[in-house]
Amino acid sequence: MMKKYLRMTLNERIQHLNLFINFTILVITGFTLKYPEAFWSSSISDVAMGMTYRGLLHRLSGVAVLTLGGYHILYLLFTERGRGILKDMIPQWKDAKDLLETLKNNFFINRPAKAIKMGRFNFREKLEYLGLIWGTTVMMVTGFILWFKTEWMTFFPMWTWEVAQAVHFYEAILATLTIIVWHLYSVVWNPDVYPMSWAWITGDLTEHEMELEHGLELEKIKAQEKGELKEFTEAAAMGGGRVYAVRREKVEEGGEKGSSLRRFYRIIQGFNETIKNWKGT
Amino acid sequence: MKGREDGFKAWRILGGGLPVFLMLGLILGGMARVAWGDNSLCLGCHQDESLKKQDAQGKSISLLVPEAGFKNSIHGKLSCWDCHIWIKDDKHAEGGKQAADKRVNCATCHKKAEKEYLQGLHSKMIMKGTERAANCFECHGKHNILPRKNPKSMVHISIIDKTCTRCHSDIPFVKEHGLGEAMPKEEFRKSVHGKTGEVTCTSCHGSHDLRSLIDPKSSIFRSNIPHTCGGCHPDITKQFIESIHGVLAARGRSDSPTCTNCHGFHGIKAKVDPDSPVNEKRIAKTTCPQCHAAERITKAYKLTTKTVQTYYDSFHGLSYRGGDTFSANCASCHGIHDIRPSSDPKSMIHKDNLQKTCGRCHPGASENFAKSKMHAVASIAGDEFGDKVVGWVRIVYILLIVAVIGGLTFFNFMDWLRKTIDRAH
Repeated sequence: MMKKYLRMTLNERIQHLNLFINFTILVITGFTLKYPEAFWSSSISDVAMGMTYRGLLHRLSGVAVLTLGGYHILYLLFTERGRGILKDMIPQWKDAKDLLETLKNNFFINRPAKAIKMGRFNFREKLEYLGLIWGTTVMMVTGFILWFKTEWMTFFPMWTWEVAQAVHFYEAILATLTIIVWHLYSVVWNPDVYPMSWAWITGDLTEHEMELEHGLELEKIKAQEKGELKEFTEAAAMGGGRVYAVRREKVEEGGEKGSSLRRFYRIIQGFNETIKNWKGT
Repeated sequence: MKGREDGFKAWRILGGGLPVFLMLGLILGGMARVAWGDNSLCLGCHQDESLKKQDAQGKSISLLVPEAGFKNSIHGKLSCWDCHIWIKDDKHAEGGKQAADKRVNCATCHKKAEKEYLQGLHSKMIMKGTERAANCFECHGKHNILPRKNPKSMVHISIIDKTCTRCHSDIPFVKEHGLGEAMPKEEFRKSVHGKTGEVTCTSCHGSHDLRSLIDPKSSIFRSNIPHTCGGCHPDITKQFIESIHGVLAARGRSDSPTCTNCHGFHGIKAKVDPDSPVNEKRIAKTTCPQCHAAERITKAYKLTTKTVQTYYDSFHGLSYRGGDTFSANCASCHGIHDIRPSSDPKSMIHKDNLQKTCGRCHPGASENFAKSKMHAVASIAGDEFGDKVVGWVRIVYILLIVAVIGGLTFFNFMDWLRKTIDRAH
């Protein structure tokens, strides 16, 4: 079987799915307000009270994204893996050079094309992550101003609210188009991964994908496996924190099988222990 | 025409005396003529279905008089001669169409009705020579006239609209007489007034003396409409005549709306009906904008032409356009029948009342909240600092979007192109 490299833990995949769903809801419910007569708005505007519940749904999803953002910050700060992500996400001078080299490759300035080895998070991903932070912050602030208009306008003049309205709208366009143009290119339309990068579902990347997108990271992992790189902790024996109760049971029982009820109890017990020993995924 | 009138007058004098003669005849037990109410002599011939004559245009007209219908009518006790006073003798039919009697004069008895009728539009049209303008029998019937309270009567409250629409829903008739639009037969029946069964054509138009739309005495003359409607809706009329629309309409401004401009006329629907122009889903889409988005009216009254567009672009308008009925429409802030200009201290949008008006939907709306400018488009050309800021934010953001998305698209397109080229080789 082909060797797989962990890209996203279950926790991270759920975070991604959460953002994916809520972002989509926000986009649809938001632009339905701005373009109520558009054909794609009819799914909301044709339903009785649809337009009334649209606002409620938009706010709910906004709060959900905000909560997710808060959780993500805690995840980054208080788990080992999270701190690793944060460290690897910091933009480096190398990223700018990678970007430039990619451009040179694509314009046939580098002949032959130079192989670019990128780290755990390449310049595309870092750029997008920064954009996500920026976008979420802007949308959150302006969104709350729009939501709590009576409170806001008790202290500030109308035009500040209008600024928030304009920013919220244009930032929404920017965010949506960025996702379509940038993110969907990376994970869908990029000929290397087309029809789709499965990492958001399986959590793994193949060696080939690792070579293309994260060459430096691959070298690092291989060196760590040979024991040459001691301080590298992410891909530790526990599979980067990917611990499943079923697997633990197998290790403990050594292939022995009890009754189904007994096995079920052991699964729960194993699960409990996993939680107890959890150092962050 | 005058000669004919004079002729009538002479016969009216004779006709007026006729009952007296008949009474005498009855009392004396018979003279040369037949006894009171005995129409057997006439009906002897006029019961024959094949009895016909040719009229002036050469059309064949049946001369049948259904006896049962006549006997049951309110005039059933009268004799034929009471109305057909020109019939001189038993031989009248022999003279052919020349001698045939056409002239029945209802005014012999119904003087008041005739006086009213002569004021009305139908009689004036007859005098002008219109052949098919309604006269007495067009609406009341001929031999089978029933009293108004009888449910089978042509002028019973539940049937009048059918009587009127015989002509007024007839498209060739309406076109020929230049009456505008033919009224769809069921339009009034389906209206909120038609459904009550208590209001009918004559309630608004009048009956014998119904007048033309352009007659200042008419109940449906523009500036009289609020009072006509006010007969049943007095509170609303009281509000309306003090509103800006009511005041201008009363002063003869033909482009200021009265009741019918917003509610429609024959087919008025309840406001909960989605087809009603005053339904909350339509009021800001078609009803108010029919004037307030119209170039001619906004120019004439020096209103801003942006009113409707700015509303549509605001949060209220955007949500409303999608079908949200909780979102403010025109009437939410401006009122319904009592719309007044913002300079009027009683106006909902007068600066002293704004906080209360906004507060109806935004509880806790502060004084500062109510100061917000409405129906305004912020742009860099604006007078105030805030307008300029909003305008610049928009411009900067548009440039940012074009630059960022353009850059990203370009980068990815080149990436895709390179990878595709590599694959092709």
